[in-house]
Amino acid sequence: MRIEHIIENKTEYMDLLLLTDPQRDMIDRYLDTGDMFALYEGKELCTLAVVTVSGNRECEIRNLVTTYGNGGKGYTRAMIYFLSERYREKCDSMYVGTWNYDESLRVYKKCGFVEVHRQANYFVKNYKEPIYLDGKQMTDRVYLKKSLDAEVDIKRVVNFALDAGRILLKNGAEIFRVDETIQRICKRFHVEKVDTFVLSHAIFINAERDGEEVYSKIKHVPLSSANLLIVAEVNDLSRKITAGMMNLEEAIDELNRIEHLPAKKKYQLIISAGVGASAFGHLLGASAMESICAFFIGCVLYIWVLFAGRHRLSKIIINIFGGILITSMAVMMYVFVPVSMQIDGMIIAGIMPLVPGVAFVNAIRDIADSDFLSGTVRMIDALLVFVYIATGVGLALGVYSNWIGGIGVCLTGLL
Amino acid sequence: MLDWIIVNVICPCLGTVAFAIMFNVPKRFYVSCGIIGTLGWLVYCAAVKPTSPSMASFFASLTVVLISRVLTVRMKCPITMFLIPGIFPLIPGASVYYMAYDLVIGETREAGQSGFLAIKVAFGIVLGIVSAVSIPREVFGGDYWRERKTKR
Repeated sequence: MRIEHIIENKTEYMDLLLLTDPQRDMIDRYLDTGDMFALYEGKELCTLAVVTVSGNRECEIRNLVTTYGNGGKGYTRAMIYFLSERYREKCDSMYVGTWNYDESLRVYKKCGFVEVHRQANYFVKNYKEPIYLDGKQMTDRVYLKKSLDAEVDIKRVVNFALDAGRILLKNGAEIFRVDETIQRICKRFHVEKVDTFVLSHAIFINAERDGEEVYSKIKHVPLSSANLLIVAEVNDLSRKITAGMMNLEEAIDELNRIEHLPAKKKYQLIISAGVGASAFGHLLGASAMESICAFFIGCVLYIWVLFAGRHRLSKIIINIFGGILITSMAVMMYVFVPVSMQIDGMIIAGIMPLVPGVAFVNAIRDIADSDFLSGTVRMIDALLVFVYIATGVGLALGVYSNWIGGIGVCLTGLL
Repeated sequence: MLDWIIVNVICPCLGTVAFAIMFNVPKRFYVSCGIIGTLGWLVYCAAVKPTSPSMASFFASLTVVLISRVLTVRMKCPITMFLIPGIFPLIPGASVYYMAYDLVIGETREAGQSGFLAIKVAFGIVLGIVSAVSIPREVFGGDYWRERKTKR
């Protein structure tokens, strides 16, 4: 099934148009200015539609005809959905004037049209010959209206909301924010019945409309590092959407832009890791000299973290090796820098850039919001990071004190 | 005195801003993050001597969350922006690390002690956040107080 926009030789389809609008001069009024669309199944022309757009963001389906033998196969509906998608950008509402024939009215109403008014005896007054359908004379013209804003595909809305939620969750937002954002977006685009279940690493969503369309989706969101800029931007986007300042197309584009925002420059991250390490190390009792050493430890450590992140190494490897790195650097500084320092202070300062602050704070916030499951998962995530670091540190310290330290003592003894 | 200022004002401020950069907080929030981190730490320092570390973290996190909520309403942004860098100085990272380290090298009793301290401090933070979060949102908007004044 495909739909084509027909620009040339519109009069070739006159026979078909005459089926639903039996007077030629009435068709000529809109045929030149209107857009014509044809729906083909294979090579067979199934449905033809002509739409005119008027100035004040309104459009009207002037003619909609389905070829003989193709009725009741859903082609008319497909065409109406296509038209409402297509004109959603340009227009706020779509009108259609049709005769008072129950079958046509039923199809339009099923597609979301609502009856606005009737022109009594329109077909009697304006058409030279009386029109008969099923042996009944058609007299009144029924005007139906559909607000195009409401014609948003439930799947697209839910997919978009889910995407926004996924990006929020991935970049370190709290569970309740993810939940609220999804609900708000769905509500704005008229998907009223939405159930969401958000976990720290998955989103389940189930949406329903008019009791007949049900759509559900599950998305796995692996735990990853935080990027609060993206959280802030998605939050702004959600505000704009809720305020009605954006339609779905713009919102999807904007979300796409946000997701591909450039990351921070590497040197900035490395230097701030160093500054963070030394500042918090000093706060936790490291001496001034130890903090200065911790600055370098933090920088080198973060180079490793960035390198490991680029090669998608597992968290266990990153943190254990990070611990080893911190300890060996601290030991080296202890041995080679001729100022009395404690290894311990440097290690504490050095691990600060690895401390899972986002996971920890979010775990606490989730528990505070009674999202115990996600809170626990995040808390365990945070605690395990410490265990990995400590494993690395213990390993390196053990090696140092048992072998290298021993050798060092022997050497100094010998000398 | 100068030492004290360097340790307790400049360090938390610098550290908080550094971590704000690492978590990619938008630039316009750097200053507020630094101030929040510093204030939280100062409250912790003031409270830790007369009370206990866990009580001190309670008061400190309460301060952090209250200021963050006011700023959140003012600047129209998620509270996470301020909360994560602001609470960072209070996280019992050192205790948790000691616990894990003692566990790794087999000092179970020491591990238990530092672990218990970490849990108490974390619980203090939880209580602080919960009590500050449960205040209704309207209180933090300017309108609430203006309306009250006009009513009187």
